[in-house]
Amino acid sequence: MDDALPLTRRMMLAGLGCACCTGLLGVGEAHARIRPRDMESLIGPGYRPTAADERGMWQEYERVEQEIAGSNLLVTDPNLVSYLKSIVSRVGGVAAQDLRIYLARVPEFNAFMAPTGFMVIFTGLLTRMRDEAQLATVIAHEAGHFLRRHHIRRWRDVRRRTDLFAIFAMGAGVGGAGAGVYLGDAVRLAQLGTILTLAAYGRELEAEADAMSVRQMAETGYDPNAAPEVWRQLIQETEASAEMRRRRPRRGYSLLASHPAPETRMADLRASAAEVRTGRESWDRGRERYLNSLGTHRKMLLDDQVKLNDPGASLFIVNNLASDGWNGLLRFYEAEAIRLRGRREDRDLSAASYAQAVTFPDAPPEAWRMHGYALIQAGRREEGKTALARYLALAPNAPDAAMVRYSIQQ
Amino acid sequence: MIRSALVLTVASSLALAGCVQTRQFADVEFAPPQGDFSLLVMRPYVSVGQIQTGGLVEPRAEWTEQARGFILEALRQQQAARGGRTQVLETREGVQGMSSDEVAEVERLFAAVGNAIVIHRYAGLTLPTKRRQGLDWTLGEDAVRLGQATGMDYALFLNAQDSYASTGRIALQVLGIAGCLVGFCAPQIGGGSQQGYASLVDLRTGEVVWFNVLQAQSGDIRTREGAAQMVDRLIGRMRAGRNVRNRDND
Repeated sequence: MDDALPLTRRMMLAGLGCACCTGLLGVGEAHARIRPRDMESLIGPGYRPTAADERGMWQEYERVEQEIAGSNLLVTDPNLVSYLKSIVSRVGGVAAQDLRIYLARVPEFNAFMAPTGFMVIFTGLLTRMRDEAQLATVIAHEAGHFLRRHHIRRWRDVRRRTDLFAIFAMGAGVGGAGAGVYLGDAVRLAQLGTILTLAAYGRELEAEADAMSVRQMAETGYDPNAAPEVWRQLIQETEASAEMRRRRPRRGYSLLASHPAPETRMADLRASAAEVRTGRESWDRGRERYLNSLGTHRKMLLDDQVKLNDPGASLFIVNNLASDGWNGLLRFYEAEAIRLRGRREDRDLSAASYAQAVTFPDAPPEAWRMHGYALIQAGRREEGKTALARYLALAPNAPDAAMVRYSIQQ
Repeated sequence: MIRSALVLTVASSLALAGCVQTRQFADVEFAPPQGDFSLLVMRPYVSVGQIQTGGLVEPRAEWTEQARGFILEALRQQQAARGGRTQVLETREGVQGMSSDEVAEVERLFAAVGNAIVIHRYAGLTLPTKRRQGLDWTLGEDAVRLGQATGMDYALFLNAQDSYASTGRIALQVLGIAGCLVGFCAPQIGGGSQQGYASLVDLRTGEVVWFNVLQAQSGDIRTREGAAQMVDRLIGRMRAGRNVRNRDND
């Protein structure tokens, strides 16, 4: 949920570039968790902006939405889209009927909210989520940005601070020159202070959206524990990815970060979830609904992930999903991730996984093909040809059918 | 957004000495449309904003709407004076016989091709294979299909941005210049400015036949006269391609 405020951010950077920026020190950020109960919605249903700055922002974003709605990256399967809409209307609070959602085929963990009430979520989220409650926490977070009017609040904060800095810098320049004192160092310090406080405010808004999401989850019966889980999964995935590459994991935290560190978010979400998880016996996870709605798309999701050539992350994702039970699809993609990793031992390791995959009734046809070739490589030609024949029986119109037929004839 | 980034790139690549600068490129065989022709304006983008004290540009909806109306009005009059019929495509759904996705494809293709033109014609990364050849880019069959579906001769892609300094920004400019008296000179505090581009695609061949970029420090497209001035600066002074000019000179 690197929730981009893309336009705003760029305009802001452009502004910083040409104007230099301001200073109001007071950077030391005392971290305090924002409580879900304090997160009231700041808008009502059917919200429309009235102030000039917000109306200008909406007008720009209406064009952005046209662009996104017509993008060829969108997944437009009506069943899947209406499923996502049903989650939005459940956790969208007072804006439930106003929010729009678009699903973009990008295999990354990310989503963003626009000030006008449309959100874009990436397919990479659907790849990673174990159930509907986990997905709902991300959607509720994005809706939280809208309900708490984060875009315009952030814009006004940036505007105020850059204005103040420009005045301060000019005052220091002219005043200093008049008085014969050099104040350049003070100006540079103020500039740094401005940049840091801008980033800190961005992180505060993210924390608000997190708290808001926990509140919306609890109010609509989704298990609030799903929120810290999503962050635990992401932290572990990042570590697994780094370890496989023999790198140190990127902690993603600095004074300049736009978002709080994942560890901080996880801890805060855990505390918030515990706070709201009272007075109810059972919580909705929606695992069956989630898997049914993904349907055959899950294969596309895993396929996109495995092809990213990030075996640490891919294997973590597959194993995390498999903590609810292995199946043929997950085993097949485990094998694919291992094969594509291409270490010396990976031929045997992936062969073992393909062999396991085909023992499940839901194994994709490709599992039989890969299993067949693995057997042939291991010298078990007849068994291998039988497996290849099974592939052709399951996928007679596969693009590589002719090649596989040739292999069987050898 | 791609387009506004594009314009920014161009704006910074033009060395700004004067107040108004345009730089146009044309296909060597390009002759400015005259007589009985039709022009399809592809979802023109207009944005007007206010420069805050600190330098941020804040978009203003009322100004933008007003400016957009005036610009399209001026464009219609200008083209009519040359004998042209102008039709503005307001939404991607507005083309009969073409789906909105297909129209979006043409727009995205233009965004990509336009970007290449900016990089290789304006930003200094000249391609050795396209040296001294005039504008040599095409949108191909997609654009021809758009022409067949609409019956229009040309597509015009238009982007116009304008900004005005807020009171705080003006005060800062004044102070920056006044500071020169005490030895702290900051005359470069940016005020309002115009940027824009216009490009003509021949829908019979699919070729991008003309491209122009404008950068100006004066003008006000919130007024009827200012909008007409910008349309004139951007589109009013189309130059023919090299071969056409040479033939005319002979």
